[in-house]
Amino acid sequence: MRQTLPKAILMVPVLIYTAFSAGPYLWTAMMSLRTTDEIYKNHYALPIPPHFWKFYTAWTEFGYASYFRNSAIVTVVAVLLITTIGAMAGFGFARRRYAFRFRESLFLMLFLSIMFPPQIMILSLFQILINYGLFNTLAGLILVYVATELPVTIYLLRAFFAQIPQEMEEAARIDGCNDWTMFWRVMFPIARPAVATTMILNFIYFWNEFLYAVVFITKQEIRTLPLAIQFLVSDQYFDIGMLATGLMIATLPVLVMYLFLSEWFVKGMTAGAVKG
Amino acid sequence: MPAQPPETADSAAAPPRRHRKPWGGIALFLGPALCFYFAFIIYPVLVTFYNSVHTLLMDRGMAYEFVGLQHFKEVLLEDDVFYKAARNSMTWAVVAPCVDIPLALILAFILHGRVPFARFFRTVWFTPLLMSYPVVGVIWLWVYNYDWGMANLVLRAIGLGDYAQAWLASPTTALPALILVTTWMFAGFNMVVMLAAIHSIPAEYLEAARVDGASARQRLFHIIIPLLRPTMGNLAILDFIGKMKQFALVWVMTRGGPMWGTETVATYVIKRAFEWKTLDLGYPSAIAVIWFVIIFGLSYGLTRFLQRREALEF
Repeated sequence: MRQTLPKAILMVPVLIYTAFSAGPYLWTAMMSLRTTDEIYKNHYALPIPPHFWKFYTAWTEFGYASYFRNSAIVTVVAVLLITTIGAMAGFGFARRRYAFRFRESLFLMLFLSIMFPPQIMILSLFQILINYGLFNTLAGLILVYVATELPVTIYLLRAFFAQIPQEMEEAARIDGCNDWTMFWRVMFPIARPAVATTMILNFIYFWNEFLYAVVFITKQEIRTLPLAIQFLVSDQYFDIGMLATGLMIATLPVLVMYLFLSEWFVKGMTAGAVKG
Repeated sequence: MPAQPPETADSAAAPPRRHRKPWGGIALFLGPALCFYFAFIIYPVLVTFYNSVHTLLMDRGMAYEFVGLQHFKEVLLEDDVFYKAARNSMTWAVVAPCVDIPLALILAFILHGRVPFARFFRTVWFTPLLMSYPVVGVIWLWVYNYDWGMANLVLRAIGLGDYAQAWLASPTTALPALILVTTWMFAGFNMVVMLAAIHSIPAEYLEAARVDGASARQRLFHIIIPLLRPTMGNLAILDFIGKMKQFALVWVMTRGGPMWGTETVATYVIKRAFEWKTLDLGYPSAIAVIWFVIIFGLSYGLTRFLQRREALEF
């Protein structure tokens, strides 16, 4: 008895915080299944009957198909690129075999740049992208994304590669591996858990990124989802129902994955916390 | 980037020749990353420093004109908006950790106390972090709506209807309202990190204290909290730096208004570069340089300060 009573009291703040934490999103989810007219009659009614067709309308008539495609292209290509390049560099920075004179200073510099505020690069990146014809292209955005997340990716993967025992490397070498095959056939497979962590971290960052997108993309056809939402908010300020549907389209891919892989997501996001 | 040919297996055949540097391997593994890093991070940073002592007339094909430290003088001595923005950013960066970290600590303790469905709550509380700022911004624009927003709805429901107001329309409430949004996003995340830190405290410490007759409260304040201090310090620094860079939420929700009430340095830089028709990239670059130095100095100083304290305490 003395045990259960305090526990019941503990549940009060837990439930209050849960309402605070989940309430706004659940509310949006309900509105996403209701028409704007219904919403203006009562903002808090349940979606009965649910209008699932709104997702189809948003997708086909309000451009979400193309925004979603742009976001998907940027995210997938950038994640694949950064995972390849970042894993190789993490390996190169970690193993004694590849040590050279300024390697540790280079790594320190890389590590410190995790803290750089984007403003210190963004204006000149704007200039540079224009000069190279990459302004207003998804390719330019992808290159910038990969570069800005490289330091934290390398930092995380280097820590993992550094733990792999030296004997592993020697065994691979005796089996006839060269640098390239040793990395891809032996080391990279061992590092899969760490690689998955950085992939999730980068996936979420790229999917949600807004600052670089807002500065480097001005053409409507190549807007990513976060950018599109910012414009839709002013263009269709009063069409709350459709906007809510759009917000669900933008968040559901991540949240559905989170539902199944929540431990991995938590691990990825907390590992990336060094970034701040 | 030209593809590097795979290195030949010379080293495999002869392990004793290890003193020969595998430059091929080094270039292969580090080359691509360093190219990216120097082309898209280091070079742009240097260009920003260079630009900050020039005027760049965008309307005249980015014509450079050297002006020395004039921009810096102007920013620091004459620019009221910069000081307003800096004050908002600083307020955000100081207040947010002061709210987020204790809140997260309390939540972590509660979940640690073997509350039923702890995993479920943890999963839910973490979710806001997975949404983009524009999504969060739109949702909270609705929450703060005067007529039908959730914030005023709750106030009216609990009899505090007199406090219901247009939260984002007044310069005094707009910034606190935005700070609450970032707390909503980050408290769950901080909680998860702290919960992990609590779980990693060796059970023997607590057991030994129990054997020595320490009460639950004493164990909390004399063992758990002191051991969590490094974690809390790190989280506070991260929170601080993150808020010093805050851009997106403001951009979506208030655009810095009303009356510069939520302008941050990050939004001001972008506004000066692309929205004000000054068509000069030099001046905002100078602001960026100043802010870069401040963020870097403060985060370095804070880290050192915390390390010193740890060294003294243990």
